[in-house]
Amino acid sequence: MAVARVEELRFTYPDAPAAALDGVSLVLEPGEVVAVLGASGSGKSTLLRALGGLVPHFHGGRFAGRVVVGGLDTREAPPAVLAALVATVFQDPEDQIVLERVRNEVAFGLENLAVPAPEIWPRAEAALDALGIGELGGRAIATLSGGELQRVCLASALAVAPQLLLLDEPSSELDDDGADRLLGEVAALARDRGTSVVISEHRVGRALRHADRVLFLEAGRILCDAPHDEAVGWLAAQRPGWVEPPGPRPARAFAGVPVATLDGVGFAYGAPVLEDVSLSLHRGEVVGLLGANGAGKSTLARIAAGLLPPQAGRVDRSGRACYLAQDPGRHLVAETVLEEVALAAPLAAAREALAAVGLDGHADRHPRDLSSGERERVGLAAVLAPAPDLLVLDEPTRGVDPPRKRELARLLRAQARERATLLVTHDHDLATAVCDRLVRLEGGRIAAVAAAAPVSRLHR
Amino acid sequence: MSALPALLLLLAVATVALATDSVVALAAITGILTVLVARLPGRRIYLWSAGFGGLTIFLFSPLVAHYGADVLWRGPHLPTPFGWLDVTTEEIQTAAVLALRLTALALAFGIFALGIDHDRLVQGLRFARRSMLALAIALRLLPTLQRDAAGLTEALRGRGVEVAGVRGHARLLAPLVAGSLERSLSLAEAMEARGFGRGRRTQAPRPAWGGRDWGAVALALLLVGVGVLWR
Repeated sequence: MAVARVEELRFTYPDAPAAALDGVSLVLEPGEVVAVLGASGSGKSTLLRALGGLVPHFHGGRFAGRVVVGGLDTREAPPAVLAALVATVFQDPEDQIVLERVRNEVAFGLENLAVPAPEIWPRAEAALDALGIGELGGRAIATLSGGELQRVCLASALAVAPQLLLLDEPSSELDDDGADRLLGEVAALARDRGTSVVISEHRVGRALRHADRVLFLEAGRILCDAPHDEAVGWLAAQRPGWVEPPGPRPARAFAGVPVATLDGVGFAYGAPVLEDVSLSLHRGEVVGLLGANGAGKSTLARIAAGLLPPQAGRVDRSGRACYLAQDPGRHLVAETVLEEVALAAPLAAAREALAAVGLDGHADRHPRDLSSGERERVGLAAVLAPAPDLLVLDEPTRGVDPPRKRELARLLRAQARERATLLVTHDHDLATAVCDRLVRLEGGRIAAVAAAAPVSRLHR
Repeated sequence: MSALPALLLLLAVATVALATDSVVALAAITGILTVLVARLPGRRIYLWSAGFGGLTIFLFSPLVAHYGADVLWRGPHLPTPFGWLDVTTEEIQTAAVLALRLTALALAFGIFALGIDHDRLVQGLRFARRSMLALAIALRLLPTLQRDAAGLTEALRGRGVEVAGVRGHARLLAPLVAGSLERSLSLAEAMEARGFGRGRRTQAPRPAWGGRDWGAVALALLLVGVGVLWR
């Protein structure tokens, strides 16, 4: 019997000009792992919310068609009732954690569902153990890393033993290896338990590795709903940008003027984070900074941009440096998009930067009225507009779909000549497409430096 | 110690601080609370705000008060509400009481925020659980708010815009509030998706109260009694 059935679903958010989902129909079977692909705004998250009943109960809007989960019609059963059947893990763990201690957090859903008291702790412990984080049970949430938080959220979802598990970018805080491992574990657990899993992921390769079936959404419609191999064929033929990397940039010898030179740099937050790191960044080159979570990449990026003074060694920098932090959409302060981008640049340069990121029609809108992807591009425009001599970008493609990633790659390559660029990323495809030189950090030290082409040698 | 007895003890100390006018008693309470807060992680903001608030009251309240016969200093006459800027012994005594009381209450809140297990408190309460949960979530999100503020500052510095002075920091207020509202909506959505508000719920078994817990309740009652009787 199907876990969920969606029939001719059409949904429009309040005040939205167009439908977010338009005639969507699908059936989810037990134990099936389904990857939902599509560009930002294609309706992926809305589909997940419809399956969990949050659309329309939490968001309002116009809802037509039918969604039935575990025999319950979501128009009649509110999300709190569906919670016994459906568990959702949202993208940002900070936005979904309720309590202060890990074990209590995992037990929260079980308590809400009135699970008999003697079963609560064993089920919470089992869920933590299943994801290999049993030792975190007694820890305070505030002491966990982003990756650990995402695992706690997943454990909270698995603890309720749902029939349907909805994962909206569940591994955005993890490096490639960690994310791959996590999705593999979740997929295996789901198949063992007969749970149907729906994963919305922007990192296509990772989603495809673990999915039995693929849905491709565009403008609220399902263009492809097929088993894994068939869907890969469809993508290659119909949307090649989703399965092919942006294409390697030919490596070239570089002899430009150094814009920033880091010499024997060290830094510690209690424990050492960086030790004896030396690196030169030349005008005209794009340097990719790679490494696992906790390798020291963001700290090195901040030091290179002058936001953090090194505790050892020295940094020589000439000209202006700009730094784009992770999740820039959260860090917008002005009342209009144009004001935001013009905070540190002349208006003409701000307009030019907005055009470069494809937002020239949004200059007078409030930044918080934009979608999350558009906000991220406002953040990018704001660091391009001042025409920096050194541009430091920290994970600029987190949560970015492949077409936007290609646009970013094109933009960085087109403007590479004007400045030195340091690109911190987990994204091998982007690094290969954009960078002239790749630097891999391991345990706070430079473990390898190479031209962009032999990227696989750096990563495996 | 369990969360509820710890809260009762803290409330008793706060009640005594509100009830007594003894500078010695208030100084003793403030001293003990300072030592306790200083041992907790994340203490800095609570120590600073308690100290700053108390010092401000102590310095300014004698200047706006007008009573007492033992004048220690007489200054110029200023427009309302200041009037004559004079300082008397009585005003200083009252300022000390008010300052110590405010500091003690702020420190007690610091212990509540940093030192009490709010999860267990929410579990242990038989009434006002939703209000307590809302307060616990607000306290859990305080470090997130601090991180958001640091993120905003870093984002601006990353573009070469320094955040300095009152105006510079005031610019962060609106985006911080907007960001908090967005977070609260997302959290409400996530809670609903996890069955919150479904109706009947159960509680994971918690450890029974031990001797320390009952001792804390007895001490709390004793403190309130002594504080009210000897005020």
